Amino acid sequence: MRAMSKKRSVSLQFKISSIYIITNLLVMIVNIVLLIGINNMSGRLDMVYRDNLHLNELSDALGMVQDNMTDYLNAKTSDSLEDYYRSEQDYRTMVSDLNERITGVSFDRMERNIKNMSEYYLEEVGQTIEAKRGRNVEKYRIHYEKATQMYEYTNAYITNLNLEKFRTNSERYSDLLKRFRLFESVSLVAVLLVMASNVCIIIRFVGTIISPLKKLAGSANEVAKGNFDIELLPVETEDEVGVVTGAFNSMVVSIGRYIERVRESMEAERALKERELLMEGHLKDARLKYLQAQINPHFLFNTLNAGAQLAMMEGADRTYEYVQKVAQFYRYNMKKSQETVTIAEEIEMVDSYIYILNVRFAGDIHYEKQIDQSLLSVEMPGMILQPIVENCVNHGIREMGGAGMIRLSLYGKGDKVCISVKDNGIGMDQETIDKVMNGAYREEDMAAGSNGIGMDNVISRMKLFTGREDVMVIRSEGKGMGTEVCLYLWNQDIQIQKPEKPVEDADMMDGKIGGMKEI
Amino acid sequence: MSKEQSSEKRKWKQNPNTWIMLLTIVCVISTVVIAVYVLWFYHSSYHEETEQTTYDRYYMMITEDNKSSIWRSIYQGACEQAMEENVYVDWLGEDHFQDYSVEEQMQIAIAAGVDGIIVTANDNDDMTELVNKAVEEEIPVVTLYGDNTQSGRCSFVGVGSYNLGHEYGRLALQIIQERLAGRTALYTMVEEEAPPEMQMQYGEVEIGSKERPVRVAVLVNAYTQGLDQNILCSGIQETIEQEREENLAIKLELLSVDDTNAFSVEESIRDIFMEQEIPDIIICLNELNTTCVYQAVLDYNKVGQVNILGYYDSDTIINAIDRNVIYATVAIDTEQMGRFCINALQEYHELGYTSQYFTADIKLIQKNNVEEYLEKGDSADESDE
Repeated sequence: MRAMSKKRSVSLQFKISSIYIITNLLVMIVNIVLLIGINNMSGRLDMVYRDNLHLNELSDALGMVQDNMTDYLNAKTSDSLEDYYRSEQDYRTMVSDLNERITGVSFDRMERNIKNMSEYYLEEVGQTIEAKRGRNVEKYRIHYEKATQMYEYTNAYITNLNLEKFRTNSERYSDLLKRFRLFESVSLVAVLLVMASNVCIIIRFVGTIISPLKKLAGSANEVAKGNFDIELLPVETEDEVGVVTGAFNSMVVSIGRYIERVRESMEAERALKERELLMEGHLKDARLKYLQAQINPHFLFNTLNAGAQLAMMEGADRTYEYVQKVAQFYRYNMKKSQETVTIAEEIEMVDSYIYILNVRFAGDIHYEKQIDQSLLSVEMPGMILQPIVENCVNHGIREMGGAGMIRLSLYGKGDKVCISVKDNGIGMDQETIDKVMNGAYREEDMAAGSNGIGMDNVISRMKLFTGREDVMVIRSEGKGMGTEVCLYLWNQDIQIQKPEKPVEDADMMDGKIGGMKEI
Repeated sequence: MSKEQSSEKRKWKQNPNTWIMLLTIVCVISTVVIAVYVLWFYHSSYHEETEQTTYDRYYMMITEDNKSSIWRSIYQGACEQAMEENVYVDWLGEDHFQDYSVEEQMQIAIAAGVDGIIVTANDNDDMTELVNKAVEEEIPVVTLYGDNTQSGRCSFVGVGSYNLGHEYGRLALQIIQERLAGRTALYTMVEEEAPPEMQMQYGEVEIGSKERPVRVAVLVNAYTQGLDQNILCSGIQETIEQEREENLAIKLELLSVDDTNAFSVEESIRDIFMEQEIPDIIICLNELNTTCVYQAVLDYNKVGQVNILGYYDSDTIINAIDRNVIYATVAIDTEQMGRFCINALQEYHELGYTSQYFTADIKLIQKNNVEEYLEKGDSADESDE
């Protein structure tokens, strides 16, 4: 087992190196074999004409003997004699190497004949020289002729053998050349085979190395696409690829865990956000309540009630009526401020308020109503008209003495219900109108004495109630031309609800508003 | 642990890639082995030359010409016999010394120190001298075809020239009789087709009469003398003289053929046909003459007018007999001659003496038995193939 793991833990470098070494070794072996073959063959090619060279030498040596003999016969110098002996010895040595057996090979027989003829010739030459030295003119002439004849025959024989051998050698040469060509083809095939084998080995080896990488790449792709539920790759080897695979595996596992954790935390965050939204809803609700609480003077109502009873007991009827109206006003405040009311109730509230003001300011305010009776039952949030009328009085007509005039109109306009409060006061410039509409006028508003409900509160509640933005329009033709505040409600049979419960989340709230819009 | 190991092993064995790898390596190794084997094979075949039998003796055959198939046939016969006796025979003129005369070749053979010489000799003094010189050098000499009686040659292998002459004479008479009787279809046919002046000639003068004797020509070589031409000619003459009908006039003449150089034979034979009097019967004493006469007869359109008696049984001659151009040929058992030569030399070496004369058998090939030889030739060709 240990050996196995040892074997498996060879490094990638070692593997790749061994591929190169193995393939190169194979190529080298084949090349060496082929090289030896080529060397061998070229050596043989060199040897082919060796026989011919040898025969040429033999022929030359024979010629030397003959020439030296002739020289000696001509001049009889001791030099030429010496030369003759030397060449004769050379030739004899060369001849002694020739074959003397009678075999089936014609070259052997020819060599044997040449050998015998050479000896015969040398005998004649020897006798010629001997006769010449003995000055036996007649004898040496005869021997010379015989020797010359024999020289010619021997030379002819050598030439013939040479030719014959040349012919055979040429055949052998061409045969060798053919073999050489064949060998070339064999070599080519061998080299090609080895190449193919090497390609196989390399492909196989590289395949082994690459296949885990491929798997790894495939898995990585999967992971890149976002699929973490892949099977973990098996670690087959313990080389670098194995290490990378292992690391990848643990990475995938880690990423999976991390993503799980992130998901969990996101879940938590979402819950948190939901709660936040809920809290925001609560806050809004609380704010509304707070706003309403601003105009919820329980204490004042109770006090006034007590004052009214006192006035009735004292028989002061106008006081009683006044206090009664004031009490009524505050009761309305107390009772209706937090719920939906009908337009009729609101108008009644305005009536009471104007009565109170007229008492306060000795009937300065002229009040007119133009009411479409059919629309009186339309619901709207409470405490809307009174603050508007209060504004008209405070900012519009307060300084006008008895000339101030407020006209309240209720009429239908398409599916809209319009409540218009118009005065003939000082009017408003567009800047102020914009300020009021944007709710930026609150602080100044708050500075003046009032029941505390500002225009922004009115607008906010109207918006909340209707779920629309175009709930109020303020029109003024300029300074001293009066102001008209128009409230719009939608003549609907639907129950326009005031949000009783805090909404679950912002999205849901949006959806509700959207729904209302549709209606 | 061992279990795991064995399972690993099994896995390794089952893996197909492993087998591919092994196969590849085996493939490479086998390639190398094949390459080595091929090398080795050629190397060894290079050294495997012809077999190296050593022979006891070495004889040399020297002939006056080396073109005729007759000599080849003799040499073949000699070789076959020699192989049996573990002797090697070389035909000196076959390859190397074609342009050398018989005498020169004799000198070479003597100098080469052979164990025996087979030579087509003649009666020249030079030849006698050379034969004697060889005998001096203890080289036995067998004369073949032509003899040198004065020399110390140990034996003569040849054809009985007188018998041969007798045979030719007999054949010539046979032709004359056939022609006179007009029995040969060929003769009749040609006579009808012959030009008018020829017919006139035949009509006016009877062939075989004294005015118009039958002309029989024997072609003799002027220079080389293979057969003993004189004996042969006298054999022909005697036979004709003795066996002819009394009133039949036959003129026997010897036509000398110039064979001094390579192509002169053919020329001088053509010259015969250019002359006024063309022989009725031409007797050829060697293969080349026969072939040349045969071709000349064809070329000069003398088929039927000139009858040929040939020599030797080459394919050309046999075919010519089959086509009725050559009347007959005398064939010698040449292979027997070759065998006789070797036997004589061997006997001399072993016993110190041998028979003085060996006479080869003679066969007569005519139209009536030519089929046999044609078949033989064909079957020989087939067996050669």
